[in-house]
Amino acid sequence: MNSPTCKSRATVGNPRPTIGQILDENGVGRRRFLKYCAGITALMAMPPGMTAAFAQQLRAARRPSIIYMPFQECTGCLESLTRSFAPSLESLIFETVSLDYNHTLQAAAGHAAEAAREQAMQDAWGEYILICDGSIPTADGGIYGASAGESFIEQLRHAADGAAAIVAVGVCASYGGVGAARPNPTGAVGVSEIITDKPIINVPGCPPLPEVMTGTLVSFLASGVPELDKHLRPKTFFGNTIHDRCYRRRFYDKGLFAESFDDEGARNGWCLYKLGCRGPTTYNACATIKWNGGTSWPVEAGHGCLGCSEPDFWDHGGFYEPVTSKLFRDDGQIAGAAAAGAAVGATAAVVARARKKKLAAEADKEA
Amino acid sequence: MSTATESFSRDAAPEDRLAPSEREERAMREFAWHFGAFTATNLEACIHCGMCAEACHFYIATEDPKYTPILKAEPFKQAYRRESGAFAPFFKLLGLKKKVTVDELEEWQELLFDSCTQCGRCSLICPMGIEVAEMIEVGRRGMAAAGLAPRELMDRARRQAETGAPEKPARPYAEVLAEIGREFDIEIPLDRDKAGIMVCAPRTDLERNPAAVAAMAKILNRLGADYTFRSEALIAENYGYYAGSRALQKKITRRVVDQAVEIGAAMVIVPECGHAYTALRWQAAEIIGEKLPFRVRHITEYLAEQLAAGKLRLDSVDGESFAFHDPCQLVRKGGITDAPRELMKAMGVDLREMENKKGFSFCCGGGGGVNDLERARPLRYRAQEIKLREVDETGATRFMTSCSDCRVAFDDAAEHFNWDKKPESLVELVAANIKD
Amino acid sequence: MTILEFSRGTMLHFALAVFVFGVLWRLVTTFLLGWRKRLSEARATPGKAAVEGAIAVGNRSWPHPEFIGRTGFGEAVGYGYHIGLFIIVLMGTPHVVFWKNLFGINAPWWPTISSGWISVISVVTIFLMLIATLRRISHPVLRRISNFDDYFTLVILYAVMVTGVMAVFGIGGRYETVLAAHVISFNALLIWFPFSKLMHAFYILPTRFFIGYTHAKKGAAT
Repeated sequence: MNSPTCKSRATVGNPRPTIGQILDENGVGRRRFLKYCAGITALMAMPPGMTAAFAQQLRAARRPSIIYMPFQECTGCLESLTRSFAPSLESLIFETVSLDYNHTLQAAAGHAAEAAREQAMQDAWGEYILICDGSIPTADGGIYGASAGESFIEQLRHAADGAAAIVAVGVCASYGGVGAARPNPTGAVGVSEIITDKPIINVPGCPPLPEVMTGTLVSFLASGVPELDKHLRPKTFFGNTIHDRCYRRRFYDKGLFAESFDDEGARNGWCLYKLGCRGPTTYNACATIKWNGGTSWPVEAGHGCLGCSEPDFWDHGGFYEPVTSKLFRDDGQIAGAAAAGAAVGATAAVVARARKKKLAAEADKEA
Repeated sequence: MSTATESFSRDAAPEDRLAPSEREERAMREFAWHFGAFTATNLEACIHCGMCAEACHFYIATEDPKYTPILKAEPFKQAYRRESGAFAPFFKLLGLKKKVTVDELEEWQELLFDSCTQCGRCSLICPMGIEVAEMIEVGRRGMAAAGLAPRELMDRARRQAETGAPEKPARPYAEVLAEIGREFDIEIPLDRDKAGIMVCAPRTDLERNPAAVAAMAKILNRLGADYTFRSEALIAENYGYYAGSRALQKKITRRVVDQAVEIGAAMVIVPECGHAYTALRWQAAEIIGEKLPFRVRHITEYLAEQLAAGKLRLDSVDGESFAFHDPCQLVRKGGITDAPRELMKAMGVDLREMENKKGFSFCCGGGGGVNDLERARPLRYRAQEIKLREVDETGATRFMTSCSDCRVAFDDAAEHFNWDKKPESLVELVAANIKD
Repeated sequence: MTILEFSRGTMLHFALAVFVFGVLWRLVTTFLLGWRKRLSEARATPGKAAVEGAIAVGNRSWPHPEFIGRTGFGEAVGYGYHIGLFIIVLMGTPHVVFWKNLFGINAPWWPTISSGWISVISVVTIFLMLIATLRRISHPVLRRISNFDDYFTLVILYAVMVTGVMAVFGIGGRYETVLAAHVISFNALLIWFPFSKLMHAFYILPTRFFIGYTHAKKGAAT
């Protein structure tokens, strides 16, 4: 359903400049650009020999038009995305794209902003990249989320119509996130639940790592929709579990665990498995890329992974219950089953005894 | 020498008239009589590990898997699952457990009678602690109820229940006993009106080894015991137990109990006969449904008590080497392990223990009525080889036991294999070495 | 709902309910079928016999020396994989946290064993199970007395063991999928348990106790 082709790059005769041209205009040297590409390809675990080809593809890519649509969201993803350490090349690359609509960042507001969006979409109809942020409420006709007199679900359908591809940023846009957590009053869902006829890339997380967002975008520009897992996440960033890459893994293997957040084990930096770390079932790049420019990440800070890049992570039991713990709440069902079992057993015994008594009496009579 | 002392005529027996369906019903009803929490836990616990085969001399000798002890209990197990177990209604409604059929029962006759001496060794090997032997015994009970117990056992049981003797003797056993007294010049009290102790005699000894009976009387006389034999309950054996007929076993038991009660006996002494001990010591009260008003002691048990009390004093046999066979019914199933050894020790016997001894001893091969089944003979010989080898391996020059049925089995095997040993009676040895 | 969620949630809840229901049904029926009073003069007091019974519960785990020659191999294999299973289930960290969470107990004293050792024990356990299976298929006695229950129980046990090892070694697919397969096979084990030979885990206690008790009352070997 999500074909990995991208019309925008294939379009011939587009007047928009290539990324290479923009970089040259901004005085970014070839050396610096290649270094950046090497970093990106390394991050995506591509073989080193691929860097030159990747750089060439990226330079040749036309400056894309991007429509950034926010739905039921908290702006956390955008915060993460803009937490670039200026003047990073990444942010520069990001600035090279034509961010034609993002109502949080843009100066325009109200009718002017909506008009700009319509214009941008018309100008690049069928070619722009749609970035979505936040879940989409579907209950009661989608009335729980609307802007400019249009429900989110209508806005999404409309914007998706003209998109070449969609990038769902954050766990909400990907899978519904906190909005979809039980009891999900607004019927919130991720983009892929509504749009099924466009290529969709999910970049989940709460928020996602900025490098993962830009890296996904850059790799998309260079070579189209990357290889995705079953949850539509790029395998390059979501191919391994946190647990597999965690620097505390060796403690898990040795059987050394923190039993509480202030015990000897916690101070020694032992594995947080018993404290509910979701590392074993969470696919993300936090353990390798880390946060805030590689400063640290939750597990390093002493807290278990919450599993924020996984569908329905809010509903996978308490954050401090281990990944193998039960996921049901018993409201007396098991006690009821026990009572029923004992009652049925007792009844069966009474019936069997009555029958035995009758048969044994006959046996005694024969004897 | 034949151990099957009488070939049984094919005269009609009462059970011959039973229709197949009636046989099935009767077997089932008898099985039902044994349903209960004890048998249920035992039948439920089996994990099919097959260990019990490794305890059974018939399997060890033949390596034929059909002799696996727990397999012998299969008809009972099947009936239990279908009629009494927790899921019985489903097993029955859905036909997951079929009714035990006459064909099955007939197929099991050989397994339950010919190839099981009720020795109980399987119960000790079971890692789950299942009382395998008792489950097999219930199998026999069902067979007998269905009229499918071997005629050799059933006819004897019926006759014993009616007349007190399992076979029609050439002359009454009371006369035989009196003649033994004359022959050995021993006073043998018979049919005294009152006595503290009632004593029985093994039929096999009365007929084949009167010296053992005489020896018992000699010792009791020497001890000044207040005892008597009773012609109405002279025979120690209980063929009802062998045949698996609860009804006949009960009648035969009744006969003994009534006689003991009549003379006011406080104790019944069981002679050198293993299964008679099991039948009277451990099954009589259960089968008649009331506590016995007297104690039951095996003769060796009684003698060991007298020895400990200082009343029985014995001479030394000057260190002659003996191997001793522990009869299953007395030791493994009866709990008399030390008494014979204390007697032997008192006589200075150089006891050479077998590899498998005491509670773990191999069966003589002839228990459980197998001695009386002519057709079981070839299989029995194979099982007996195990025992004879163990006796030989002790290096003892003489061989002794305290059960006349075991001696019958050994005598027969000795003849068959040209074995150089003759099974002797422990009580005879005691009688010969009693101090004046 | 993901498959892992389902396996740890709804299905586990259902499986536990079936387990508790079935086990109690079977045990309650068995124990309420009636006890026959033993009337024979006993050699041991009920108290002493009960002590012998309790001893037999433990002692039967070790074969009498008379039998070791013939049963030693089978017992070693059988007890071997049982011990392996117990260690894995009771001391593997993921299992310990599972039990603690399931029973809602806080037990910091509960020991765990490193996953390296658990892996080694798991492989040995599966190997012993394979030997036990081969014996069941090839030994004439075992082949003769085995039924569907014996084989199906083994199949479920293999499913639990193999998926568990796969999860630990990270083979056979994504961790959460393999883990779900592991939990599902465990749930299957719970559901099958009350209706199968697995009930021996409970019945072993009364049968061993009774044989010790009744034999002690007779003064016979237990």
